[in-house]
Amino acid sequence: MASRDRTARVAVLGSSVRRSRSDRRPARGRSNALLRRIILAVLVVAALAMLTVSFRSPTSGALHDVQGVGASALRPFEIAAQRVARPFRDVYGYFSDLATAKTENVKLKRELREARGEANANVAAAQRTSELENLLAFEQGARYPQDYRPVNTTVISYPGSAFAQQVTIAAGSDSGIHLFTPVVTGDGLIGRVTNVTPDQAQVTLLTDPDINVPARDATNGVSGLIRHGEGGTLILDRVAKEHKIRKGDIIVTQGTVDRRYPSVYPYGLPIGRVLNVGTSDIATFLTVTVEPFASFDSLDAVAALVSTKKR
Amino acid sequence: MNAVDGLKAAVLLFVAAILQVSIFTQVHILGGVPDILLVTLVAVALLRGAMTGAIGGFFAGLLVDTATLGQLGLTSLVLTVAGYWIGRYGETTGRDRGHAPFTSVAVITVLYAFGVLIVHFVLGERAPAGDVVRGLLPAIVLNLILTAPVYALVRRVLRPLDRGDYATEVQLLG
Repeated sequence: MASRDRTARVAVLGSSVRRSRSDRRPARGRSNALLRRIILAVLVVAALAMLTVSFRSPTSGALHDVQGVGASALRPFEIAAQRVARPFRDVYGYFSDLATAKTENVKLKRELREARGEANANVAAAQRTSELENLLAFEQGARYPQDYRPVNTTVISYPGSAFAQQVTIAAGSDSGIHLFTPVVTGDGLIGRVTNVTPDQAQVTLLTDPDINVPARDATNGVSGLIRHGEGGTLILDRVAKEHKIRKGDIIVTQGTVDRRYPSVYPYGLPIGRVLNVGTSDIATFLTVTVEPFASFDSLDAVAALVSTKKR
Repeated sequence: MNAVDGLKAAVLLFVAAILQVSIFTQVHILGGVPDILLVTLVAVALLRGAMTGAIGGFFAGLLVDTATLGQLGLTSLVLTVAGYWIGRYGETTGRDRGHAPFTSVAVITVLYAFGVLIVHFVLGERAPAGDVVRGLLPAIVLNLILTAPVYALVRRVLRPLDRGDYATEVQLLG
Protein backbone atom coordinates (compact mmCIF):
# COMPACT_ATOMS: atom_id res chain seq x y z
CA MET A 1 0.00 0.00 0.00
CA ALA A 2 1.26 3.46 -0.84
CA SER A 3 1.68 6.08 1.82
CA ARG A 4 -1.01 8.77 2.06
CA ASP A 5 1.75 11.38 1.96
CA ARG A 6 3.08 9.96 -1.24
CA THR A 7 4.08 12.25 -4.03
CA ALA A 8 1.85 12.59 -7.02
CA ARG A 9 3.18 13.25 -10.44
CA VAL A 10 1.30 15.71 -12.58
CA ALA A 11 1.55 14.62 -16.17
CA VAL A 12 1.31 18.04 -17.69
CA LEU A 13 4.02 19.69 -15.71
CA GLY A 14 6.12 16.61 -15.29
CA SER A 15 7.10 17.66 -11.81
CA SER A 16 6.27 16.13 -8.48
CA VAL A 17 4.06 17.92 -5.93
CA ARG A 18 3.84 17.09 -2.25
CA ARG A 19 0.32 17.05 -0.86
CA SER A 20 -0.38 19.04 2.25
CA ARG A 21 -2.31 17.47 5.19
CA SER A 22 -5.39 19.55 4.35
CA ASP A 23 -5.66 17.83 0.99
CA ARG A 24 -6.33 14.42 2.48
CA ARG A 25 -9.88 14.44 1.14
CA PRO A 26 -10.03 10.91 -0.25
CA ALA A 27 -9.30 9.37 3.13
CA ARG A 28 -11.82 11.55 4.90
CA GLY A 29 -14.28 10.99 2.09
CA ARG A 30 -13.97 7.21 2.41
CA SER A 31 -14.65 7.28 6.14
CA ASN A 32 -17.55 9.64 5.59
CA ALA A 33 -18.94 7.38 2.89
CA LEU A 34 -18.72 4.39 5.19
CA LEU A 35 -20.42 6.25 8.02
CA ARG A 36 -23.08 7.54 5.69
CA ARG A 37 -23.84 4.09 4.37
CA ILE A 38 -23.94 2.63 7.85
CA ILE A 39 -26.39 5.32 8.96
CA LEU A 40 -28.52 4.75 5.88
CA ALA A 41 -28.54 1.02 6.49
CA VAL A 42 -29.44 1.47 10.16
CA LEU A 43 -32.27 3.85 9.32
CA VAL A 44 -33.65 1.60 6.58
CA VAL A 45 -33.49 -1.42 8.84
CA ALA A 46 -35.16 0.53 11.65
CA ALA A 47 -37.91 1.68 9.31
CA LEU A 48 -38.42 -1.85 8.03
CA ALA A 49 -38.50 -3.19 11.57
CA MET A 50 -41.11 -0.64 12.62
CA LEU A 51 -43.06 -1.34 9.47
CA THR A 52 -43.02 -5.07 10.16
CA VAL A 53 -44.10 -4.69 13.78
CA SER A 54 -46.73 -2.13 12.88
CA PHE A 55 -48.02 -4.31 10.05
CA ARG A 56 -48.25 -7.43 12.21
CA SER A 57 -50.10 -5.72 15.06
CA PRO A 58 -51.58 -2.46 13.80
CA THR A 59 -53.96 -1.92 16.72
CA SER A 60 -52.07 -3.24 19.71
CA GLY A 61 -48.63 -3.65 21.15
CA ALA A 62 -45.94 -1.41 22.58
CA LEU A 63 -45.23 0.31 19.28
CA HIS A 64 -48.89 1.16 18.89
CA ASP A 65 -48.95 2.61 22.40
CA VAL A 66 -45.90 4.72 21.66
CA GLN A 67 -47.51 5.87 18.45
CA GLY A 68 -50.63 6.85 20.39
CA VAL A 69 -48.60 8.88 22.85
CA GLY A 70 -46.73 10.52 19.99
CA ALA A 71 -49.96 11.35 18.19
CA SER A 72 -51.35 12.90 21.37
CA ALA A 73 -48.21 14.97 21.74
CA LEU A 74 -48.42 16.17 18.15
CA ARG A 75 -52.13 16.96 18.37
CA PRO A 76 -51.72 20.50 19.82
CA PHE A 77 -49.31 21.41 17.05
CA GLU A 78 -51.74 20.15 14.43
CA ILE A 79 -54.64 22.07 15.98
CA ALA A 80 -52.53 25.21 16.14
CA ALA A 81 -51.55 24.83 12.50
CA GLN A 82 -55.13 24.31 11.50
CA ARG A 83 -56.26 27.40 13.41
CA VAL A 84 -53.60 29.51 11.79
CA ALA A 85 -54.50 28.18 8.37
CA ARG A 86 -58.26 28.41 8.79
CA PRO A 87 -58.72 32.00 7.55
CA PHE A 88 -56.59 31.27 4.50
CA ARG A 89 -58.47 28.07 3.89
CA ASP A 90 -61.79 29.88 4.17
CA VAL A 91 -60.70 32.44 1.60
CA TYR A 92 -59.44 29.70 -0.67
CA GLY A 93 -62.67 27.78 -0.17
CA TYR A 94 -64.75 30.84 -1.02
CA PHE A 95 -62.99 31.44 -4.32
CA SER A 96 -62.81 27.75 -5.06
CA ASP A 97 -66.56 27.44 -4.53
CA LEU A 98 -67.16 30.40 -6.82
CA ALA A 99 -64.98 28.86 -9.49
CA THR A 100 -66.65 25.48 -9.24
CA ALA A 101 -70.23 26.72 -8.83
CA LYS A 102 -70.93 26.82 -12.56
CA THR A 103 -69.52 23.36 -13.15
CA GLU A 104 -71.39 22.11 -10.11
CA ASN A 105 -74.61 23.60 -11.45
CA VAL A 106 -74.23 21.82 -14.78
CA LYS A 107 -73.40 18.59 -12.98
CA LEU A 108 -76.39 18.87 -10.67
CA LYS A 109 -78.72 19.59 -13.57
CA ARG A 110 -77.44 16.51 -15.34
CA GLU A 111 -77.92 14.43 -12.20
CA LEU A 112 -81.45 15.80 -11.84
CA ARG A 113 -82.23 14.80 -15.43
CA GLU A 114 -80.88 11.33 -14.80
CA ALA A 115 -82.84 11.05 -11.55
CA ARG A 116 -86.03 12.10 -13.29
CA GLY A 117 -85.44 9.53 -16.02
CA GLU A 118 -84.83 6.89 -13.39
CA ALA A 119 -87.97 7.91 -11.50
CA ASN A 120 -90.01 7.68 -14.70
CA ALA A 121 -88.54 4.28 -15.41
CA ASN A 122 -89.46 3.19 -11.89
CA VAL A 123 -93.01 4.42 -12.34
CA ALA A 124 -93.27 2.54 -15.64
CA ALA A 125 -91.79 -0.56 -14.01
CA ALA A 126 -94.26 -0.30 -11.13
CA GLN A 127 -97.15 0.03 -13.57
CA ARG A 128 -95.90 -2.97 -15.53
CA THR A 129 -95.56 -4.98 -12.36
CA SER A 130 -99.13 -4.10 -11.48
CA GLU A 131 -100.31 -5.23 -14.92
CA LEU A 132 -98.38 -8.49 -14.65
CA GLU A 133 -99.82 -9.17 -11.21
CA ASN A 134 -103.27 -8.46 -12.58
CA LEU A 135 -102.69 -10.81 -15.49
CA LEU A 136 -101.36 -13.53 -13.20
CA ALA A 137 -104.39 -13.14 -10.94
CA PHE A 138 -106.66 -13.54 -13.96
CA GLU A 139 -104.82 -16.63 -15.20
CA GLN A 140 -104.97 -18.25 -11.77
CA GLY A 141 -108.53 -17.15 -11.05
CA ALA A 142 -111.87 -18.88 -11.50
CA ARG A 143 -112.73 -16.82 -14.57
CA TYR A 144 -109.86 -18.30 -16.56
CA PRO A 145 -111.26 -20.56 -19.28
CA GLN A 146 -110.50 -24.26 -19.27
CA ASP A 147 -108.75 -25.89 -22.21
CA TYR A 148 -106.70 -22.78 -22.88
CA ARG A 149 -103.13 -22.03 -22.01
CA PRO A 150 -101.81 -18.48 -21.75
CA VAL A 151 -98.93 -17.23 -23.88
CA ASN A 152 -97.72 -14.29 -21.84
CA THR A 153 -96.14 -11.57 -23.87
CA THR A 154 -95.91 -7.83 -24.28
CA VAL A 155 -97.18 -5.28 -26.74
CA ILE A 156 -94.27 -4.07 -28.86
CA SER A 157 -96.03 -1.61 -31.13
CA TYR A 158 -99.13 0.50 -30.77
CA PRO A 159 -101.62 1.91 -33.24
CA GLY A 160 -99.81 4.31 -35.54
CA SER A 161 -102.85 6.51 -36.01
CA ALA A 162 -106.35 7.03 -34.72
CA PHE A 163 -107.60 4.97 -37.64
CA ALA A 164 -105.57 1.89 -36.87
CA GLN A 165 -106.85 -0.31 -34.07
CA GLN A 166 -104.15 -2.95 -34.11
CA VAL A 167 -101.25 -3.66 -31.82
CA THR A 168 -98.34 -6.01 -32.30
CA ILE A 169 -97.37 -8.53 -29.62
CA ALA A 170 -93.98 -10.17 -29.17
CA ALA A 171 -95.12 -13.75 -29.68
CA GLY A 172 -96.23 -15.60 -32.79
CA SER A 173 -96.87 -18.95 -34.32
CA ASP A 174 -93.75 -20.41 -32.70
CA SER A 175 -95.56 -19.99 -29.37
CA GLY A 176 -98.71 -21.64 -30.67
CA ILE A 177 -100.54 -18.45 -31.55
CA HIS A 178 -102.66 -18.61 -34.70
CA LEU A 179 -105.27 -16.50 -36.45
CA PHE A 180 -108.30 -15.63 -34.31
CA THR A 181 -106.51 -16.41 -31.05
CA PRO A 182 -108.16 -14.23 -28.38
CA VAL A 183 -105.90 -11.87 -26.47
CA VAL A 184 -106.58 -10.64 -22.94
CA THR A 185 -105.11 -8.47 -20.21
CA GLY A 186 -105.67 -8.99 -16.53
CA ASP A 187 -108.81 -6.89 -16.88
CA GLY A 188 -110.40 -8.73 -19.75
CA LEU A 189 -110.64 -9.33 -23.48
CA ILE A 190 -108.92 -6.82 -25.75
CA GLY A 191 -109.19 -8.41 -29.20
CA ARG A 192 -108.05 -11.24 -31.42
CA VAL A 193 -105.09 -12.11 -33.60
CA THR A 194 -105.58 -11.06 -37.21
CA ASN A 195 -102.10 -11.68 -38.55
CA VAL A 196 -99.32 -13.89 -37.33
CA THR A 197 -95.64 -14.50 -38.03
CA PRO A 198 -93.36 -16.97 -36.27
CA ASP A 199 -92.37 -14.51 -33.56
CA GLN A 200 -94.94 -11.72 -33.72
CA ALA A 201 -98.67 -11.34 -34.07
CA GLN A 202 -101.01 -8.52 -34.93
CA VAL A 203 -103.95 -8.10 -32.60
CA THR A 204 -107.02 -6.22 -33.73
CA LEU A 205 -108.66 -4.54 -30.78
CA LEU A 206 -112.32 -4.59 -29.82
CA THR A 207 -112.46 -0.93 -30.77
CA ASP A 208 -111.92 -1.83 -34.44
CA PRO A 209 -115.08 -1.58 -36.61
CA ASP A 210 -114.42 -5.02 -38.09
CA ILE A 211 -114.50 -6.83 -34.78
CA ASN A 212 -117.72 -8.37 -33.48
CA VAL A 213 -117.71 -10.54 -30.39
CA PRO A 214 -120.64 -12.69 -29.27
CA ALA A 215 -121.30 -11.66 -25.67
CA ARG A 216 -123.83 -11.97 -22.91
CA ASP A 217 -124.95 -10.26 -19.78
CA ALA A 218 -123.42 -12.29 -16.98
CA THR A 219 -126.32 -11.40 -14.67
CA ASN A 220 -129.32 -12.46 -16.76
CA GLY A 221 -127.81 -14.29 -19.74
CA VAL A 222 -129.10 -11.90 -22.38
CA SER A 223 -126.85 -12.24 -25.39
CA GLY A 224 -125.80 -9.82 -28.07
CA LEU A 225 -122.89 -8.78 -30.22
CA ILE A 226 -120.12 -6.49 -28.98
CA ARG A 227 -118.88 -3.96 -31.49
CA HIS A 228 -117.03 -0.65 -31.37
CA GLY A 229 -118.79 2.45 -30.06
CA GLU A 230 -118.08 6.14 -29.69
CA GLY A 231 -115.32 7.63 -27.54
CA GLY A 232 -113.59 4.38 -26.60
CA THR A 233 -116.79 2.63 -25.53
CA LEU A 234 -118.33 -0.56 -26.90
CA ILE A 235 -121.87 -1.33 -27.93
CA LEU A 236 -123.73 -4.51 -27.06
CA ASP A 237 -125.80 -4.80 -30.20
CA ARG A 238 -128.59 -7.13 -31.27
CA VAL A 239 -130.33 -7.12 -27.90
CA ALA A 240 -134.06 -7.26 -28.30
CA LYS A 241 -136.11 -4.52 -26.68
CA GLU A 242 -138.00 -6.86 -24.42
CA HIS A 243 -134.84 -7.91 -22.55
CA LYS A 244 -133.97 -6.25 -19.28
CA ILE A 245 -130.40 -5.04 -19.06
CA ARG A 246 -129.39 -2.81 -16.20
CA LYS A 247 -126.66 -0.32 -15.80
CA GLY A 248 -123.65 -1.92 -14.11
CA ASP A 249 -124.22 -5.42 -15.46
CA ILE A 250 -121.09 -7.32 -16.40
CA ILE A 251 -120.70 -8.32 -20.03
CA VAL A 252 -118.65 -11.43 -20.82
CA THR A 253 -117.92 -13.49 -23.90
CA GLN A 254 -120.63 -15.92 -24.82
CA GLY A 255 -118.45 -18.81 -25.91
CA THR A 256 -119.56 -21.68 -28.11
CA VAL A 257 -123.29 -22.15 -28.33
CA ASP A 258 -123.39 -24.66 -31.15
CA ARG A 259 -120.54 -27.15 -31.41
CA ARG A 260 -120.82 -27.12 -35.15
CA TYR A 261 -119.87 -23.47 -35.08
CA PRO A 262 -117.33 -23.09 -32.30
CA SER A 263 -116.61 -19.55 -31.15
CA VAL A 264 -113.03 -18.28 -31.23
CA TYR A 265 -113.67 -16.73 -27.81
CA PRO A 266 -114.03 -19.02 -24.81
CA TYR A 267 -116.95 -18.47 -22.47
CA GLY A 268 -116.73 -15.98 -19.65
CA LEU A 269 -113.94 -13.62 -20.64
CA PRO A 270 -114.80 -10.24 -19.08
CA ILE A 271 -115.40 -7.50 -21.60
CA GLY A 272 -116.89 -4.58 -19.72
CA ARG A 273 -119.65 -3.09 -17.60
CA VAL A 274 -122.93 -1.66 -18.88
CA LEU A 275 -122.69 2.08 -18.83
CA ASN A 276 -125.98 3.07 -20.31
CA VAL A 277 -129.08 1.44 -21.80
CA GLY A 278 -131.09 3.34 -24.34
CA THR A 279 -133.93 2.69 -26.73
CA SER A 280 -136.19 4.47 -29.20
CA ASP A 281 -139.58 3.76 -30.69
CA ILE A 282 -138.27 3.12 -34.16
CA ALA A 283 -135.20 1.05 -33.20
CA THR A 284 -135.45 -2.74 -33.25
CA PHE A 285 -132.80 -3.31 -30.60
CA LEU A 286 -131.65 -1.74 -27.36
CA THR A 287 -128.64 0.55 -27.44
CA VAL A 288 -126.44 -0.82 -24.67
CA THR A 289 -123.26 1.15 -24.12
CA VAL A 290 -120.49 -0.86 -22.48
CA GLU A 291 -117.41 0.54 -20.80
CA PRO A 292 -114.57 -1.90 -21.49
CA PHE A 293 -112.59 -3.25 -18.55
CA ALA A 294 -109.33 -3.15 -20.46
CA SER A 295 -107.66 0.17 -21.04
CA PHE A 296 -106.81 0.18 -24.72
CA ASP A 297 -104.61 3.25 -24.38
CA SER A 298 -102.01 1.64 -22.13
CA LEU A 299 -101.62 -1.96 -23.13
CA ASP A 300 -98.40 -3.66 -22.10
CA ALA A 301 -98.55 -7.12 -20.55
CA VAL A 302 -101.03 -9.32 -22.38
CA ALA A 303 -101.75 -13.01 -22.80
CA ALA A 304 -102.83 -14.86 -25.90
CA LEU A 305 -105.18 -17.73 -25.06
CA VAL A 306 -104.14 -20.75 -27.07
CA SER A 307 -106.55 -23.66 -27.14
CA THR A 308 -105.16 -26.93 -25.83
CA LYS A 309 -107.85 -28.93 -27.57
CA LYS A 310 -106.82 -30.85 -30.64
CA ARG A 311 -108.45 -29.46 -33.73
CA MET B 1 -22.95 19.73 10.28
CA ASN B 2 -22.89 21.15 13.77
CA ALA B 3 -25.55 20.79 16.48
CA VAL B 4 -27.11 24.16 15.76
CA ASP B 5 -27.58 23.26 12.12
CA GLY B 6 -29.04 19.94 13.16
CA LEU B 7 -31.49 21.66 15.45
CA LYS B 8 -32.49 24.12 12.75
CA ALA B 9 -33.03 21.31 10.26
CA ALA B 10 -35.07 19.40 12.83
CA VAL B 11 -37.29 22.41 13.50
CA LEU B 12 -37.78 23.03 9.79
CA LEU B 13 -38.75 19.44 9.15
CA PHE B 14 -40.98 19.31 12.23
CA VAL B 15 -42.89 22.40 11.14
CA ALA B 16 -43.12 21.09 7.59
CA ALA B 17 -44.44 17.72 8.83
CA ILE B 18 -47.08 19.38 11.01
CA LEU B 19 -48.14 21.67 8.16
CA GLN B 20 -48.29 18.72 5.81
CA VAL B 21 -50.51 16.51 7.96
CA SER B 22 -52.78 19.28 9.21
CA ILE B 23 -53.13 21.59 6.20
CA PHE B 24 -51.59 20.49 2.96
CA THR B 25 -53.15 17.04 2.85
CA GLN B 26 -56.52 18.77 2.59
CA VAL B 27 -55.51 20.85 -0.40
CA HIS B 28 -56.61 18.97 -3.49
CA ILE B 29 -56.02 20.83 -6.72
CA LEU B 30 -56.81 19.00 -9.96
CA GLY B 31 -56.32 15.72 -8.17
CA GLY B 32 -52.88 16.60 -6.85
CA VAL B 33 -51.79 17.26 -3.28
CA PRO B 34 -48.81 19.51 -2.57
CA ASP B 35 -46.16 18.01 -0.29
CA ILE B 36 -44.35 20.70 1.63
CA LEU B 37 -42.54 18.13 3.74
CA LEU B 38 -40.99 16.55 0.68
CA VAL B 39 -39.95 19.94 -0.67
CA THR B 40 -38.44 20.94 2.67
CA LEU B 41 -36.61 17.63 2.93
CA VAL B 42 -35.21 18.11 -0.55
CA ALA B 43 -34.01 21.60 0.39
CA VAL B 44 -32.41 20.41 3.64
CA ALA B 45 -30.78 17.43 1.94
CA LEU B 46 -29.43 19.57 -0.89
CA LEU B 47 -27.92 22.05 1.56
CA ARG B 48 -26.69 19.63 4.20
CA GLY B 49 -25.96 16.39 2.38
CA ALA B 50 -26.96 12.74 2.39
CA MET B 51 -26.58 11.96 6.09
CA THR B 52 -28.76 14.87 7.15
CA GLY B 53 -31.18 14.01 4.36
CA ALA B 54 -31.48 10.39 5.45
CA ILE B 55 -31.82 11.16 9.16
CA GLY B 56 -34.20 14.05 8.50
CA GLY B 57 -36.28 11.88 6.17
CA PHE B 58 -36.45 9.11 8.73
CA PHE B 59 -37.67 11.27 11.59
CA ALA B 60 -39.94 13.40 9.42
CA GLY B 61 -41.56 10.21 8.13
CA LEU B 62 -41.89 8.98 11.68
CA LEU B 63 -43.68 12.20 12.61
CA VAL B 64 -46.08 11.83 9.71
CA ASP B 65 -46.82 8.19 10.49
CA THR B 66 -47.33 9.03 14.14
CA ALA B 67 -49.56 12.03 13.54
CA THR B 68 -51.73 10.22 11.02
CA LEU B 69 -51.71 6.96 13.02
CA GLY B 70 -50.51 5.29 9.87
CA GLN B 71 -48.22 2.31 9.64
CA LEU B 72 -45.07 3.27 11.48
CA GLY B 73 -42.01 3.10 9.30
CA LEU B 74 -43.75 3.32 5.94
CA THR B 75 -43.21 7.02 5.27
CA SER B 76 -39.91 6.86 7.15
CA LEU B 77 -38.58 4.21 4.82
CA VAL B 78 -39.40 6.11 1.65
CA LEU B 79 -38.34 9.53 2.96
CA THR B 80 -35.05 8.12 4.29
CA VAL B 81 -34.11 6.85 0.88
CA ALA B 82 -35.38 10.04 -0.77
CA GLY B 83 -33.40 12.26 1.60
CA TYR B 84 -30.28 10.18 1.08
CA TRP B 85 -30.47 10.29 -2.71
CA ILE B 86 -31.12 14.00 -2.86
CA GLY B 87 -28.33 14.58 -0.35
CA ARG B 88 -25.93 12.65 -2.52
CA TYR B 89 -27.05 14.62 -5.55
CA GLY B 90 -26.45 17.84 -3.62
CA GLU B 91 -23.00 16.68 -2.50
CA THR B 92 -21.95 15.80 -6.00
CA THR B 93 -23.44 17.02 -9.23
CA GLY B 94 -26.26 19.16 -7.89
CA ARG B 95 -24.09 21.52 -5.93
CA ASP B 96 -24.12 25.16 -7.02
CA ARG B 97 -26.66 24.50 -9.76
CA GLY B 98 -29.65 26.82 -9.81
CA HIS B 99 -32.01 24.22 -11.18
CA ALA B 100 -30.99 21.56 -8.65
CA PRO B 101 -33.90 22.15 -6.21
CA PHE B 102 -36.47 22.09 -8.99
CA THR B 103 -35.01 19.04 -10.68
CA SER B 104 -34.74 17.27 -7.35
CA VAL B 105 -38.31 18.09 -6.33
CA ALA B 106 -39.75 16.98 -9.67
CA VAL B 107 -37.84 13.71 -9.66
CA ILE B 108 -38.34 12.93 -5.99
CA THR B 109 -42.08 13.65 -6.21
CA VAL B 110 -42.39 10.90 -8.81
CA LEU B 111 -40.09 8.49 -6.96
CA TYR B 112 -41.76 9.16 -3.62
CA ALA B 113 -45.24 8.53 -5.08
CA PHE B 114 -44.18 5.27 -6.66
CA GLY B 115 -42.13 4.32 -3.60
CA VAL B 116 -45.14 4.62 -1.32
CA LEU B 117 -47.25 2.80 -3.90
CA ILE B 118 -44.77 -0.05 -4.09
CA VAL B 119 -44.53 -0.40 -0.30
CA HIS B 120 -48.33 -0.50 -0.05
CA PHE B 121 -48.41 -3.06 -2.85
CA VAL B 122 -45.78 -5.21 -1.18
CA LEU B 123 -47.73 -5.08 2.08
CA GLY B 124 -50.78 -6.30 0.22
CA GLU B 125 -52.75 -3.17 0.88
CA ARG B 126 -54.87 -1.14 -1.50
CA ALA B 127 -52.50 0.42 -4.07
CA PRO B 128 -54.51 2.47 -6.58
CA ALA B 129 -51.87 3.08 -9.23
CA GLY B 130 -54.35 4.86 -11.50
CA ASP B 131 -55.17 7.47 -8.87
CA VAL B 132 -51.48 8.00 -8.13
CA VAL B 133 -50.60 8.45 -11.79
CA ARG B 134 -53.52 10.81 -12.39
CA GLY B 135 -52.53 13.02 -9.47
CA LEU B 136 -48.83 12.94 -10.23
CA LEU B 137 -48.59 15.77 -12.74
CA PRO B 138 -50.58 18.26 -10.63
CA ALA B 139 -48.55 17.21 -7.58
CA ILE B 140 -45.30 17.87 -9.42
CA VAL B 141 -46.51 21.30 -10.50
CA LEU B 142 -47.71 22.17 -7.00
CA ASN B 143 -44.45 21.01 -5.44
CA LEU B 144 -42.46 23.00 -7.98
CA ILE B 145 -44.49 26.09 -7.07
CA LEU B 146 -43.58 25.52 -3.43
CA THR B 147 -39.94 24.87 -4.21
CA ALA B 148 -38.73 28.45 -4.73
CA PRO B 149 -40.07 29.95 -1.46
CA VAL B 150 -39.33 26.87 0.63
CA TYR B 151 -35.80 26.52 -0.72
CA ALA B 152 -35.15 30.21 -0.18
CA LEU B 153 -36.37 29.95 3.42
CA VAL B 154 -34.35 26.82 4.15
CA ARG B 155 -31.30 28.35 2.51
CA ARG B 156 -31.71 31.40 4.72
CA VAL B 157 -31.92 29.26 7.86
CA LEU B 158 -29.24 26.78 6.84
CA ARG B 159 -26.47 28.71 5.18
CA PRO B 160 -24.79 26.79 2.37
CA LEU B 161 -21.59 25.05 3.46
CA ASP B 162 -18.19 25.76 2.11
CA ARG B 163 -17.02 23.34 -0.53
CA GLY B 164 -14.59 21.73 1.82
CA ASP B 165 -17.32 20.84 4.27
CA TYR B 166 -19.20 18.67 1.81
CA ALA B 167 -18.84 14.99 2.35
CA THR B 168 -18.08 13.83 -1.11
CA GLU B 169 -16.40 10.91 -2.78
CA VAL B 170 -16.04 12.80 -6.00
CA GLN B 171 -12.66 14.53 -6.02
CA LEU B 172 -12.85 18.02 -7.37
CA LEU B 173 -10.39 19.02 -9.99
CA GLY B 174 -11.07 22.77 -9.92
